[in-house]
Amino acid sequence: MDEDHDYQRSVVGRLIAQARSLTMPVILTIALLVVWEAAVAVLDVSVVTLPPPTTVAAAIFEHRDLLMQHSVPTTVEGLMGFGLAVVVGMGLGILLALSKFFRVAIYPLIVAFQVVPKVALAPLFIVWFGLGMTSRVLLAFVIAFFPMVVNTFAGIQGTDPMMLRMARSFSATRWTVFRKIEFPNALPYIFSGLKIGVTFAIIGIIVAEFVTAQRGLGYLIVFAEGNIDTPLLMAALVVLSVIGLLLYGAIVVLEKVIIRWDVGQKL
Amino acid sequence: MRGGKSRDAPPQYMGLAHVRIIDVRKTYKTRRASIDAISSVTMQVARGEFVSILGPSGCGKSTLLMAVAGLLPVTEGRVEIDGEVVTGPRRDTGVVFQSPVLMPWRSIFKNVMFPIEALGLPVREYEARAYELLKLTGLDRFHDNYPTELSGGMQQRVSICRALIHNPSLLLMDEPFSALDALTRETMNQELLRIWEEFQKTVLFVTHSIREAVFLSDRVFVMSRRPAVISKVVDVTLPRPRALEIDETPEFNAYVSDLRRAIEG
Repeated sequence: MDEDHDYQRSVVGRLIAQARSLTMPVILTIALLVVWEAAVAVLDVSVVTLPPPTTVAAAIFEHRDLLMQHSVPTTVEGLMGFGLAVVVGMGLGILLALSKFFRVAIYPLIVAFQVVPKVALAPLFIVWFGLGMTSRVLLAFVIAFFPMVVNTFAGIQGTDPMMLRMARSFSATRWTVFRKIEFPNALPYIFSGLKIGVTFAIIGIIVAEFVTAQRGLGYLIVFAEGNIDTPLLMAALVVLSVIGLLLYGAIVVLEKVIIRWDVGQKL
Repeated sequence: MRGGKSRDAPPQYMGLAHVRIIDVRKTYKTRRASIDAISSVTMQVARGEFVSILGPSGCGKSTLLMAVAGLLPVTEGRVEIDGEVVTGPRRDTGVVFQSPVLMPWRSIFKNVMFPIEALGLPVREYEARAYELLKLTGLDRFHDNYPTELSGGMQQRVSICRALIHNPSLLLMDEPFSALDALTRETMNQELLRIWEEFQKTVLFVTHSIREAVFLSDRVFVMSRRPAVISKVVDVTLPRPRALEIDETPEFNAYVSDLRRAIEG
């Protein structure tokens, strides 16, 4: 009983449990790939419309150097935009939570800005910052920024008032309350912001690569489409999905390592 | 040995109450009107005394306790601890709230140590005391566990340890056992007395349970319904240490009926 308990609590144990829960989705994916392969063959669909999984796999193998070469800027720039969103977003979320002035003056602006479809800003960024990396990173940033702000803010604001009263009864300073109560309380929210944010950052980079058309998997997708090379297009999509999954997975692992307590409500 | 403790207090404390509540009035302002939560309360608690404030739900007894804790300002009058007017939370006070309010991200041990960090005291020097308190409350096996892994009664024990870690002279308890089942509550009452006898703290205990007040206290202050005043003070001279069976004695039950009449009166 006790051993079972420790197993449940240990980080490795919980990661194994998490991995186990992936068994069914993996089986389902394989089944879908088989159906896809068979359907394309039976219905005689053209390779340009829908290449079968084996052809896509062959394209990945054939173009592995090209795919690798374009994966690097997409990943690096995506992470740069995401990193910027984490730093600025968390910083602003904290300011909003701690300062009434920021809450009253700035929060409505942030919400209003959220209504703007950020992808539509891409052409403007090109006018301002040119076709280079700056435009792409900034687009990823503006898209990933909002979930970081809102989740950090909500996590701090969601602190139990009784907890704050308890801390005050022990003469805790404002700084102690933030560091030892509000911030840890916000961590589960921040992690759900990170998970959304990293996905959004990749979306931003891809859209920016479509528009700036210099390099990256987004560029490769547009290039393949222009050449009517659907297998390469899908190969790039697969690689892109794998990158997205790895980044998301890295955050999940980090979350399991840091948040070891029972969060209670599911976020 | 502890019987009549308030009476054989050391001479230097004679006449000097540990806690003095003087003409305290508390008014809440709502949009429509101002509501008197406490109309006028005056009472004194001697050093080392166990005093309960007994009253119906919502009578303002918790408000009074929070004023003593320095967590709520009073509208009129004043609270003095050791002759000093309370203006905010004090380092020599420990509060136990109605719910345990433990931090779910901290181990039991780290929860108990929180006041030491908040008060800026040397953490190292208090670690042994934290272990000692956890041992005293039967929680020494759980110091590395997280709060959600403990039962409600165990969690409230942790919060009592937390209130005692910085060695306060005054322990303020706001209906700490009201969320617990009757059996756990009795155990907790007994344990609280054991801790009190061990540490010699002054305890101000808010409850709406008559039997709990009689079992624990040297004196019971009865608070009337809102706007609250102290309607009766009862000296409980039952011998100490008290065992749970004491509630079957006629003396115990005489106190209970007396207090019940005072509340209903």
